[in-house]
Amino acid sequence: MEAFALHADLDAVPAAEPLSIVARAARGDVRAFEELYRLHLARVHSLVRRMAGGRDTDELTQDVFVRVWQKLGSFRGESSFTTWLHRLAVNVVIERFRAETARRQRLHDGEEIFETLSGPNASRDLPMDFDAALEKLPDGAREIFVLHDVEGYKHHEIGSLLGISPGTSKAQLHRARMMLRQHLK
Amino acid sequence: MADQWTDRLSDYLDDELEPAERARVTAHLEACGECAAVLQELRSVVARAQTLPSTPPRANLWPSIEARIARRSVFARIGDWASQRVSFTVPQLAAAALALMVLSGGLVWVSQYGGRTTSLPPVDAHGVLPAAFANPQYDEAIADLERTLDTGRSQLDPQTIRIIETNLASIDQAIEQSRRALAADPANAYLNSHLAEFQQRKLALLRRASALVGPRS
Repeated sequence: MEAFALHADLDAVPAAEPLSIVARAARGDVRAFEELYRLHLARVHSLVRRMAGGRDTDELTQDVFVRVWQKLGSFRGESSFTTWLHRLAVNVVIERFRAETARRQRLHDGEEIFETLSGPNASRDLPMDFDAALEKLPDGAREIFVLHDVEGYKHHEIGSLLGISPGTSKAQLHRARMMLRQHLK
Repeated sequence: MADQWTDRLSDYLDDELEPAERARVTAHLEACGECAAVLQELRSVVARAQTLPSTPPRANLWPSIEARIARRSVFARIGDWASQRVSFTVPQLAAAALALMVLSGGLVWVSQYGGRTTSLPPVDAHGVLPAAFANPQYDEAIADLERTLDTGRSQLDPQTIRIIETNLASIDQAIEQSRRALAADPANAYLNSHLAEFQQRKLALLRRASALVGPRS
């Protein structure tokens, strides 16, 4: 599978951990792993919450860190640890919800919700903050928006992750943005 | 503002359009204030997405994670142990197969004929003597070696003699204890093997000591 390049915005988060912490954790040092957990918890939890639309966020975050513990030995330092960790978190969320419904179907579901949220009256009558509006997006559009605009994935990368075409990814991204522009204030 | 233009605004923003298409959209944006405003809003959405704050969970998730990784570590170790590959060469496998055939055949033979010949009464455990309790050849060998050692004793330095005697005393003590225990429980397999082991040790020690004094003159 090809490598995923993430936006530079990840560099600002969190302070880069000394590689020795990763190495110690990879050798089974639980205290070192706890340090990694605390360094990355807020970012991972927020990523998971946005990807999953607020569902089972704590449980999924735990799943992510347990998976990290299991896979840490395979981290070769070819990308930054943060990049590796976030990709793993994205995969955990995708795997969780993949079984629920066919992804293609989900991308076309929620049209009604989408239209309701994106209608001019909805935004005026029911103000909500950006994150809350993001959680209300249909699953597919939300995942694509988070992956592209928050995490910095490219459309072809999103296509590989979600099993959709780059064109579908672009279309869903645009619709998500069009809805979210109502909730900028 | 028409969908045919707004639908292209995200691609325009992300620089995903072909040059010719991009030029057409640019021209439209210069003429359409409404589309230009939408583009600005989309740009703001993207900017907002890249500055969303990160917030930790309200609950402390670490205890649960720590418990799960501890549990998985135990299972992983068991799994690693269980999944270790054991490999055999072809001759080893052939030998194992042959041994299995012989064993199976033997069991079949015993099941067919073995039971019919066992008409003797059950063995009285108290009547079983340990194999080494009375072994004239062993006793003779020990006596011979002890004589050799006595004869050549003067050839050994006092420290060597002391070490030999100390070790012999310990072995004799173990032999004596085993014999006393076997007197009460003659069929005990462990006691019998224990006695045999120390008898062998005594024999080996006397042989080595005798070798030190050389052949009798």
